[in-house]
Amino acid sequence: MGENKYMKTFNQIVEELFGVKEENIKDELSSKDIPNWDSMNYLLFIAELEKEFSMSFSMDEVMNAQTLGDLRVLVEKNKK
Amino acid sequence: MNAKELSFDEIKVGDNASFYRVFMEDEVMKFAELSGDMNPLHTDISYAEGTQFKQRLVHGMLLGSLCSRFVGMCIPGKRCLYLSQNLSFKNPVFIGDEIEVVGTVIFKSEATKILTINIVMKKGKDVVVLGEAKVQVI
Repeated sequence: MGENKYMKTFNQIVEELFGVKEENIKDELSSKDIPNWDSMNYLLFIAELEKEFSMSFSMDEVMNAQTLGDLRVLVEKNKK
Repeated sequence: MNAKELSFDEIKVGDNASFYRVFMEDEVMKFAELSGDMNPLHTDISYAEGTQFKQRLVHGMLLGSLCSRFVGMCIPGKRCLYLSQNLSFKNPVFIGDEIEVVGTVIFKSEATKILTINIVMKKGKDVVVLGEAKVQVI
């Protein structure tokens, strides 16, 4: 994926912020499946993604993402 | 002392502020009472003298409260909504030690209006506490 070895990975941030063990992370998971995915934690998750990957999302992108897969795509899109 | 009232747009990565604080015995005892942490390392002179530290320590979380002061009063100040805080305690702080608190904005998330603020507390040249705060500017 070309991620710097000193940076956290997407899955590490999911585990840290949402408390989902790496082996249970799937792209189709959404706020319905993850108890810790509340509105405040979601904002913290977004801010952590932006910080770790040095990118900036728009409010629309943040509001439209429904699943972890959507967010992973968002990160990949912003890397380009 | 009035809280600053900075908007999200007024704050830039690299912005910083600092202040000094000394915790005296009555404040450590008040914190022990308020928090319920009456551990003798903080409250009992003779016990503390028998430890490697030889004197009483200021509670780590009393030092941590300076992070709350930083975000609530300095950056961003009045518009702060405190979301998260991590802390690590690097060296002991004793009653009467002067502590310098320096906070620096290291990241701004435009989409969420969240700031990441690195907070370093020093006693002289020694780092005593490191922390990272996340706050939303409301």
